[in-house]
Amino acid sequence: MWIHPKEILIPPAFWVDEMRSKYFVLQKRRGHGESRSFTSLLVNTLDSVWDTKPPPYRILHQTPKSEVYYEIAIGLTQEEIVKDWEWLAENLFKVLNEMESEEEITNFTICKIQSLNAQNNQDESDESANFKVSASKFQTLFEMPKEERLVNTYACTYVKNKIPNQGNLYISLNHICFYSYMLGSETKRVIRFAELEDIKRHGQIIYLKTVNNMHYNFTLLKDVKEAYGLIEQLNKMAIQQLIQDPDSPIVDHDASVFQRFGRKASNKPGLLRDLTARQKSEEYRNYFRLPQTEIIDGQIKANIWTPYAKRYVGGNIYLSRNFFCFRSDVIDLVSLVIPMRNIKSVEQKNDGPHRYDNQIVLLTAENVHFVFAQIVDREVLVEKISELLSQFHVPISRERAKYDISWSKQSALMNSFKTNLSAEMLKIQEQKLSRWESHFRDFGRGISMFRTTDVINLIVEGIPDKLRQEIWLLFSGAIHEKDMNPGLYEDLVEKAACIKHSSTHDEIDRDLHRSLPEHAAFQHADGIGALRRVLQAYALRNPQVGYCQAMNIVSSVFLLFCDEDNAFWLLASLCENLLPDYYKDKVVGAQIDQSVLNELVETYLPELHSHLDQLGIIRMISLSWLLTIFISVIRYESALHIIDCFFYDGAKIIFVVSLQILEWNCEKLLKCNDDGEAMEVLSRYLDGIYNPEYRLPPQSDKQKPETQPIQTLIHEAYTNFGAKISQQKIEELRNKHRRLTIRQFDIDNENTIVKFHADNMYFDREELHLLLTIIREEKSTPRKVLQQKAHSALGGESPILLPTTATGRSAGYAENNCSRSESYSVDFDTFRALFHELTPWRNCVSIDLAEKLFRLTDKKSTGSIEFSQIINALGLVCSHKYTEKLKLLYILHLPPLLSKAEIEHVRRPKSKAKEDAEEAIEAEDFFGDDPSESIEALPSPTDNNFDEDDYALITATKHLHSLAGLSQPSSSTAGAINGERSSTFYVDLPRQHGTPMDVARSQNGASGSTSDLIDNGLRHQGRFESTDTFSDISDLGAVKVTPPQLNVETISNFSQISDLIMATRVERTDSTTDTKSLGSLRYLLDQPDDGNAPNKNIPNMKKANFQFLWRSLMEIIGEQDEDMRKAYENLLELGNNNMKKEISLDSFTQLNLGNGDEPDSNGNPTTPSVESNATTRLFQAYEEELKQNSSTGGTGSSSNSSTDVDSWEISINQFIATVLAVTSIVQCFYMKTPIKENIERMQKNRRKCVITNY
Amino acid sequence: MATRKKSLLKVIILGDSSVGKTSLMNQYINKRFSNQYKATIGADFCTKEVIADDRVVTMQIWDTAGQERFQSLGVAFYRGADCCVLVYDVTSPNSFKNLDSWRDEFLIQASPRDPDHFPFVVLGNKVDMDNRQVSTRRAQQWCQSKNDMPYFETSAKDGTNVELAFQTIARNALAQEAEVELYNEFPDQIRLNTDRNNRNGNSDNCQC
Ligand SMILES: Nc1nc2c(ncn2[C@@H]2O[C@H](COP(=O)(O)OP(=O)(O)OP(=O)(O)O)[C@@H](O)[C@H]2O)c(=O)[nH]1
Ligand SMILES: [Mg+2]
Repeated sequence: MWIHPKEILIPPAFWVDEMRSKYFVLQKRRGHGESRSFTSLLVNTLDSVWDTKPPPYRILHQTPKSEVYYEIAIGLTQEEIVKDWEWLAENLFKVLNEMESEEEITNFTICKIQSLNAQNNQDESDESANFKVSASKFQTLFEMPKEERLVNTYACTYVKNKIPNQGNLYISLNHICFYSYMLGSETKRVIRFAELEDIKRHGQIIYLKTVNNMHYNFTLLKDVKEAYGLIEQLNKMAIQQLIQDPDSPIVDHDASVFQRFGRKASNKPGLLRDLTARQKSEEYRNYFRLPQTEIIDGQIKANIWTPYAKRYVGGNIYLSRNFFCFRSDVIDLVSLVIPMRNIKSVEQKNDGPHRYDNQIVLLTAENVHFVFAQIVDREVLVEKISELLSQFHVPISRERAKYDISWSKQSALMNSFKTNLSAEMLKIQEQKLSRWESHFRDFGRGISMFRTTDVINLIVEGIPDKLRQEIWLLFSGAIHEKDMNPGLYEDLVEKAACIKHSSTHDEIDRDLHRSLPEHAAFQHADGIGALRRVLQAYALRNPQVGYCQAMNIVSSVFLLFCDEDNAFWLLASLCENLLPDYYKDKVVGAQIDQSVLNELVETYLPELHSHLDQLGIIRMISLSWLLTIFISVIRYESALHIIDCFFYDGAKIIFVVSLQILEWNCEKLLKCNDDGEAMEVLSRYLDGIYNPEYRLPPQSDKQKPETQPIQTLIHEAYTNFGAKISQQKIEELRNKHRRLTIRQFDIDNENTIVKFHADNMYFDREELHLLLTIIREEKSTPRKVLQQKAHSALGGESPILLPTTATGRSAGYAENNCSRSESYSVDFDTFRALFHELTPWRNCVSIDLAEKLFRLTDKKSTGSIEFSQIINALGLVCSHKYTEKLKLLYILHLPPLLSKAEIEHVRRPKSKAKEDAEEAIEAEDFFGDDPSESIEALPSPTDNNFDEDDYALITATKHLHSLAGLSQPSSSTAGAINGERSSTFYVDLPRQHGTPMDVARSQNGASGSTSDLIDNGLRHQGRFESTDTFSDISDLGAVKVTPPQLNVETISNFSQISDLIMATRVERTDSTTDTKSLGSLRYLLDQPDDGNAPNKNIPNMKKANFQFLWRSLMEIIGEQDEDMRKAYENLLELGNNNMKKEISLDSFTQLNLGNGDEPDSNGNPTTPSVESNATTRLFQAYEEELKQNSSTGGTGSSSNSSTDVDSWEISINQFIATVLAVTSIVQCFYMKTPIKENIERMQKNRRKCVITNY
Repeated sequence: MATRKKSLLKVIILGDSSVGKTSLMNQYINKRFSNQYKATIGADFCTKEVIADDRVVTMQIWDTAGQERFQSLGVAFYRGADCCVLVYDVTSPNSFKNLDSWRDEFLIQASPRDPDHFPFVVLGNKVDMDNRQVSTRRAQQWCQSKNDMPYFETSAKDGTNVELAFQTIARNALAQEAEVELYNEFPDQIRLNTDRNNRNGNSDNCQC
């Protein structure tokens, strides 16, 4: 295999030459293939994941005069490497011989190899052919994007309706898929890891349950354990990803961490090997408390010599880049951690009887010897260690920027703020100290001490003050992070000090005096200053956590016993390892552990649990126990003993102590009748816990009664529960409750959103829930994998302080709720999927109505719309409000939504204008066209490549948004809405016009003298509220004005109006139609209540648009009957008529139409519920217009043959009045869409991977 | 009649971190101020016997954590509250602004039967300090706009208005109870009542 050529100065001695040519040498690794194959040595499972393992064969390039070798190829097998060699012989040897200078030869060779290497990398040929077939099958069968990588496949049986389906389980990073093909029928299932609620295994059966309550049983005859482990692991990763970054809930695998050299060393797929390594590394790190970056490198059986017991103990050696560790086979008998940097030498030793053979002796920098024996393949181990040692870089303190900050590191506060202990207590401390010292003599001291059960006995007694810092750092693993990042703390402190305004810092400052106020150190500037620095530095290191209350409390206790940088590293290991996710948003980690505790109580104290559960109390009490390791509920000098154990045992101690506390108070708790009482019982008990070895003078006059010594509590906790609750058990429970907790967050969130939207007009609660569910699911489909992932870098490389918005909850409720429903806003793709799956308008194929509706809804052109908007948009389309739906359909076909360019594009094949008579047929003909053309050709709303037309469209729509009235939240008062409305007239009017008062006044006048009013209105230069009164004419039955009269009276005025209209239009933009008030059309979505209101705001429609509108209508209905055909012809005719009276009618149509905002004949505002009224009114308007047409137009329309398409137009009311007369249309539009069934069908389709392309 | 009334009142204190919720509660219960309280994690709890409307009732006061990331956890405590005390710090305009969101959050999570008339009491705390930033008028206006919530300016430090405020809290909580009575006027209330009384007896014995 060709690799990127690498310079090697002196080839190490353990390579032997196998073949040589003038410029190349093929080498084999010494020892390879002689006894056992190299790959079988260190590990079995992890055989190919070493990032450092050299392959056994390689080819080097060297010119005779050069000192430098270039490694150009490597191989795992001889066959492989010989193939490369042969290629060289065939292609290069001759060419190189012809070259003159050595430099040229080297350059040419390197160049050639580089390009070969690049080629190879492209086809990722490291997987077996079989696997590659599976992977591509997986992608096609389940329509997975390329980024969704397959991990492995398993033959399996899935029982559906009692019929077993024999097929394959495909496990990828984010999905479990099943496929079978039997008796001619396919079965497909797609399950996301993130949606699993329960995972169980019984023998050969894997049982899965999803949050949607779907159950699956898969039976695997082979590899069931591997598959189950994989599912658990990937589910865990999916949920952790959700916690880490809810906006991008897709698991990705960063293979670069696991750079692989060994190809084909195992027949397992690469990703699976990586995942196994990942899992093993995690266990390794957790057990030995190593930094998050350690990747396990290998594991080998060996015995260790334990000098304190004078015998050998069997176990395993583990190696990773920076550590050499040992763990005994007998649990907790002995373990050992030796950092690579402490290893001075490794030697093989070959004396002694059989039992001791194959020994190695490891010498540390402190001159301590560790002896291991019976090591299989000792040479390789030694070689491996020396290799790791040679690669080891001593971390160096990075060059630091200079800050103008002066501060000095605070040493442990207990030194300067001494507690006055009695002589007796000092004696206890001394005794403890000497016990520890003798322990150090036997077991060693420092990182590489033998860790045995002896030490836990010492710890449980309480670590003496003087040793706390050392032991805490050691057992927490904080020491390693500290050693690996020299200077980081100082750097963070200074950077943080330079940040001027930060709400995080404000929060920290507020809590400095509320951390451990009872201790003198924190009544003093020294203690406060150190605490501030530690907390600020940590917020800077880990912006995702920032600062969470409770961190101040634990840190202050650390500061008492540790120097401030050590306190910082302890805090870091707390937040990052020991109490995972505890201090993140919503303290999610603590909530998960609350559930874990709850389950533990249920298991071990069942009687008490059922009682406490009724009181709902376990969650109330345990939060502070977990977040502060009891410091906030037990006096700190007692809680210290729990912390001592905590650094050794991790969260386990919190659980066992919690259980013990509950058990101790069991009887009293059982008697409690409410949560408050139980709280009192517990707090009285906790207040009274004391430490007899550390009795401080009473703080206050009111001394709390003592209940129990802390030593007893801890001792009994371990005796009663210690053995039952293992770290592994905790991890299992955490995995389970991580799933459930995250799920609960969603449920709570959705409940709140549903509550908030409960009184929307379209959906009931159940439907809202379903809608939220489908949006959540849709947003995490594989298609979304492509969304770029924002990795928030943990670790100290380039820390950024938490953006202040995270804490600036300046928002009112509305915004508060916004942030909550933010995760339920959708982008165009998702919206389109919902539209096509859920609404009856999916039948419309010629025009992409989803796109139109999205644009109409997306007010700010942000490319995403909020949940409330989705309710209104989808709700209307699915409702039975047929008039509004027709209006909406009409609007969706208006420019700028349906632009000229688009029409032309779709029509291009038939660009010639047809005779009127043919239009209807033409419209039908369009059915035959390939609709995809029109859809694809359109820019998607999120597309950035707009052409000019689109740009005009955007600006136009934007402009329209800015028109008043539409972006008003629905909470604005009715008066305001009316006021705004009258100013969002067809032509934009200056704001100050048309206050509701004005309208009312002029309307009152209208019933008096119409003509007067008209004059009056017009004299007020564009006080268009007066035009409202025109519509009154037709609506208020009181004044019947005959069209001719009106005509005579006002014809000149009408032209005045239209002049004004024209002027305004010209001023605004050169396009005459496209800028019309689309924005003002949004009222339909915003205030659907007033659906029948201002039709006057809706512009007339041009012929081309109308034809498309009709086509959409036909597609939605599915056919065209005779009535529809007639209606179509009528409308065409109407359009022609309108055209003839161009100016006057153009304006008149605007004025003549119904307006729901205005008072009815009694002066009361018309209510939206009077729908029939609206319809009749529409008909009136329509008839009115017809009359006008015949009287003013004079000659019949049929005589008109000049088809001037540009001036053809119909009004919304003409359209609606006409189509409402068609039974089939009304029937179709009156139908309410069963949204629930549609959503359920959609979910089902998704599960079964029924792929629909929209 | 009197026996039909519930004698346990659940009061919940909400407000931003460090506005003085814990201090107010302790000033009311213990009649003294201490600057030795830790920031509240999760929630704290106290009871006090009060005499309101000539009756002895037990007031259960729940003091919650103010930091935003704890907000979603408070929900467990909201249920069944008889009165909600909203506290802000007169020297911190932000804490005043956030009252809106505290109030809304409470209403939506506690879902009281009659949200429009649920008793809230608003306290502007730390009036003893001289760098006041939120004017009485502004606070009063806001309270009036929200169904005329009673408003007090308090100091947990010198005790100003604390007793008075909690008296009002108790009375309003009781009034709320009385209204609830109208809805469910039946005997299980009585049983509940005897339980409570027993309980009170117990707790008095234990309290030292
Ligand atoms: N001057 C003055 N200081 C006060 C008053 N009330 C509280 N404080 C101080 O303000 C700080 C915060 O008080 P707390 O009672 O702990 O605040 P909290 O609202 O309980 O805060 P969280 O528990 O974090 O939600 C403390 O330092 C108190 O001493 C007051 O009336 N006047
Ligand atoms: Mg508090």
